Amino acid sequence: MTEVRPDIIDNPRRHSWAQRVVALVSGALLAVTLAGCSTDSATETPLKTLSVGATLEPDTLDLTTSDSAAIPQVLLYNVYETLVRLDGEGTIKPLLATGYDVSSDGLTYTFRLDRQAEFASGAPVDADAVVESIERMRQAPSATLRAQHEVVASVEAVDAATVEVELSRPSNMWLYNMTQKAGIVIDPAATDLATAPMGSGPFMVEDWLKGDRVVLEKNIHYWGTPGRFDEVDFRYIADPNAMVSALLSGDIDIISDLTSPDSLSQFSDASRFTIIDGTSNAEVVLGFNHSRPALQDLRVRQAICYAIDRAGLLDAVWGGKGVLIGSMVAPTDPWYEDLSQTYPYDPQRARDLLAEAGVSGLNLSLRVPTLPYATAGAQFIASQLSLVGINVTVEELDFSSRWLTEVFTNAEYDMTIVSHVEPRDITMFADPTYYWRYDNPTFAQLVASADEAPDQQRYVTLMEEAATMLADDAAADWLFNFPNLVVTKAGITGIPDNATTLSFDVTTIASRQ
Amino acid sequence: MTEAAEEKGADVAVARRRPWVRSVLRRLVVFAVTVLVASFLVFLLVALLPGDVARATLGLGASDDQVEALRSQWGLDRPLLLRYAEWLGGFLTGDLGQSYVTGESVSSQVAPRLAVTAWLVGLSTPLALIVALVTGVIAAVGRRRWWGAVISGVSHLGLAIPAFFAATLLVLVFAVALGWLPATGYEPLFAGRGVDLAGWASHLVLPVAAIVIVQGSLLARYVRSSFIDVLTEDYYRTARAVGWTRWRAVFRHGLRNAATSLATVVGLQLASLLVGVILVEQVFALPGLGSLLIRAVSGKDLLVVQGVVMVLVVAVLLINLIVDLAYLAIDPRLRRQGETA
Amino acid sequence: MKKFTVIAGSAMTALVLLAALVSFVWTPFDPSLVDSANRFAPLGWPHVLGTDAMGIDTASRLLVGARTVVFVGVVSVEGAAVVGIPLGLFAGMRHGWWGEAISRAGDILFALPALLLAILLAAAVGASVVTAMLAIAIATVPVFIRMARAATLTVMELDYIDAARVAGTSEPVIALRHVVPNIAPLIGVQAAVSFGMAILAEAGLSYLGLSASSSTPTWGRMMRDANLFTAPAQAVIPGCAIAFAVMGFNVLGDGLRDYLDPRLKEVR
Repeated sequence: MTEVRPDIIDNPRRHSWAQRVVALVSGALLAVTLAGCSTDSATETPLKTLSVGATLEPDTLDLTTSDSAAIPQVLLYNVYETLVRLDGEGTIKPLLATGYDVSSDGLTYTFRLDRQAEFASGAPVDADAVVESIERMRQAPSATLRAQHEVVASVEAVDAATVEVELSRPSNMWLYNMTQKAGIVIDPAATDLATAPMGSGPFMVEDWLKGDRVVLEKNIHYWGTPGRFDEVDFRYIADPNAMVSALLSGDIDIISDLTSPDSLSQFSDASRFTIIDGTSNAEVVLGFNHSRPALQDLRVRQAICYAIDRAGLLDAVWGGKGVLIGSMVAPTDPWYEDLSQTYPYDPQRARDLLAEAGVSGLNLSLRVPTLPYATAGAQFIASQLSLVGINVTVEELDFSSRWLTEVFTNAEYDMTIVSHVEPRDITMFADPTYYWRYDNPTFAQLVASADEAPDQQRYVTLMEEAATMLADDAAADWLFNFPNLVVTKAGITGIPDNATTLSFDVTTIASRQ
Repeated sequence: MTEAAEEKGADVAVARRRPWVRSVLRRLVVFAVTVLVASFLVFLLVALLPGDVARATLGLGASDDQVEALRSQWGLDRPLLLRYAEWLGGFLTGDLGQSYVTGESVSSQVAPRLAVTAWLVGLSTPLALIVALVTGVIAAVGRRRWWGAVISGVSHLGLAIPAFFAATLLVLVFAVALGWLPATGYEPLFAGRGVDLAGWASHLVLPVAAIVIVQGSLLARYVRSSFIDVLTEDYYRTARAVGWTRWRAVFRHGLRNAATSLATVVGLQLASLLVGVILVEQVFALPGLGSLLIRAVSGKDLLVVQGVVMVLVVAVLLINLIVDLAYLAIDPRLRRQGETA
Repeated sequence: MKKFTVIAGSAMTALVLLAALVSFVWTPFDPSLVDSANRFAPLGWPHVLGTDAMGIDTASRLLVGARTVVFVGVVSVEGAAVVGIPLGLFAGMRHGWWGEAISRAGDILFALPALLLAILLAAAVGASVVTAMLAIAIATVPVFIRMARAATLTVMELDYIDAARVAGTSEPVIALRHVVPNIAPLIGVQAAVSFGMAILAEAGLSYLGLSASSSTPTWGRMMRDANLFTAPAQAVIPGCAIAFAVMGFNVLGDGLRDYLDPRLKEVR
């Protein structure tokens, strides 16, 4: 009884003495000794611990092996830092590198490192460490990371603070990817990335209580502006109702990704909560398996797109929050155009197209991961497709392994729904082995020439063309783009409206509670 | 039964002493055999599941050679019985193998979560018993009064409400509307920096309460009927006739009678209690065995499924053994008879 | 009083059965028709119990959900009874090795709760109403073994069994002619109680996503999919329906027990 964790004493999140006693009497007959153990909270002091609610828990913390978005959500910019990063306007800003030069042929990048930069372990972030990190990424088990570094021909340390990267061809995407998880610099001393990631960020992974939370602790030796919290907990709560009650009851301070937009009305009291409703990089895709004969017919794919009332779906599935897009482009991307009216809702047109294609009594499987948007969307789509004579069998699979293995890896499906959270992931349609099995050489060529475009304007124009080509070909049905719905307790500031990376960046968050 | 028959002609003094020891030994042997059979069943169930773990892990693109290599790396190409023996040996020494999916030690995943589930079961069972005894006795004594009927009705309701529904309602009232208690999560009792009794207890109040509502209602029904039995017995009437108060008579005679039947019911209800715990863990996002199991199943992490199921089954059997032994201690008749239905 | 409980229990269970039957010929709306213009309609008209997040009529889903309740209950309890009762009879009449083996096997099964079985089955072949039902049936078998064995043991003590034995009547005939009629009322009681348990188990499995998918309306699934805060009624209504159905079967079981147990007659 004498030992009390210091954060209990001055942590306003905890429940007050009086509340506990009442709860005790009314709740169960648990230890009356509670009263002697708790102390009054001082509500004026700023939060020392920030508790962030997140939906998906990672299986591992090693982002070189797994593409799970849950890993960069907690680690990127908080624990790991990149050489350069993007600001809210999309311009490249220094982080571990103070700047960089590009050769006129667009093939050689020279990064100048910040000599102050240090890993949490105390070792300097020098050129050797950067080279080792990039090499690690180039040989990473994750196919995505390897693909992102495919254009890299060689990496070398010119001196302790200068790194030179030689590309095999110019690539606009590569520099962009370097601002994301492909560009993180890992401490060479790290041996167990799966449970003990080591980076140079303002926070360190202190503990991982599986099934519950990842605990980040302030890196007191941080080389830049130190973090504002002693501890940041990423609490994993899969059930949307439980997530809402966790914030309402004060268990957590932030819902980083609200998955039940219908619950927003609970947080309408601005004196208690702040709602951030921006956009994200996540496109919700009704994916077609292009290796299935029925779906190889453009008319069938178009019929499906015509048959689905996406505005209605967005209302039903995501409370009307989010943006209708029409192609694989997020509204924050430079080449975004509203293509949502390519196939307006027209069930009669859908029936006609099916008749034209000579298809009747079509049976399709819709195998979706057990994530709220996917299961609800599947129900909606099954209902709507049945109205045009397509019989849909919905099957729900757990995301982390079954969906990833059976649908994503083995392409055992006709249609599926999943949200693609990676930024600028339109290029995935250029890969015929990707789970859509979409094989369109013209599109692949277009994307490749865009990547090599010498200037930004040409790059954007070609990418716009690519996006339109996908939409016209009904390569998938882009249901909607996810909103970035973040709810915080009042007084928490510093969270940008739009989520342009996979990170839930806590380094800019402040609390004036 | 056979034992009882053998002992019919035995010397009374010996029959008092020896069968008692024999009964205990007998139960221990039966327990060991049951654990053995159960472990084999669990192992077999998982081993014979359709689908090749190695192929599932590697994906359809993998060649047969690669699949074979992984199978032999995991030891899946060896005889079933040998694998069983190794797994059982590992289980007895606390080693449940390495997960095929994450490569992590299964025991290290199970251990911290076992504590959460054990606290839930360990706290809610005695509390449910207390609640059941109090409400059951009142309902029995007042069975012809309105208050008895009301309590009986309430326990009927508690019995019919799904545990997750009760849990949800508790969250809405005590965590969301009143804000007295946390709605989700768990704090270990022994954190790195000392004992966090307040955090630990406050996170367990609502989950335990949800289980107690359901289990307490169920046990209350049994307490009520066993006390009603007592109220109709001759010795109760005699006690009342010689001037004992009603409550004194009820407790003197009723408790022992109720205790034996309650012990049985608690044992019988363990399985349903565990189900309740798994559901409640889900509602409160508690990192217990139930949530690990659900996650492992959906991730096809078969060794984890196997390990967790085995731990739960052994726990049920172990508690049943303890109940059985307690039963022997409570009811002297059983010591003589050795075995009952 | 006894009569009242039997009648009340019968009425409640009959209502659930009726709802399931009615759903085959009539529901107020199509139970799978989404209507995004009518989301979270309040209780009233035309949506008597409102609509859910997809705009689907809750009353219609509730009616169709009753089918699953009845279906799961009937199949799993019947299945368990058909397997468990003969085994229990056998175990109760044979005192030897076999009887012991059966009851021990029952104990092992008992240690494997329905939920764990359903989880194993779901891991093997994917979760569905069928796997849930099968798991509940298997888990209910030992209940019937125990009950039938205990009841048989009591009946076997009776004098006329000895009389029949002495008269040379064979064991199967004794079982059918003397034991079964004696334990039949208990079986009825147990079936009613097990029915309630099966409904609860299926609801729990649905809630965990280990039974029906969203497109098959079951009461547990409706609770899982409901938004507790925006439309609490959508969680409370199916929750109450589950409680009502379970309570119906429990009350019926209790009423039958009291009605059939002669010892309690003088009490009430």
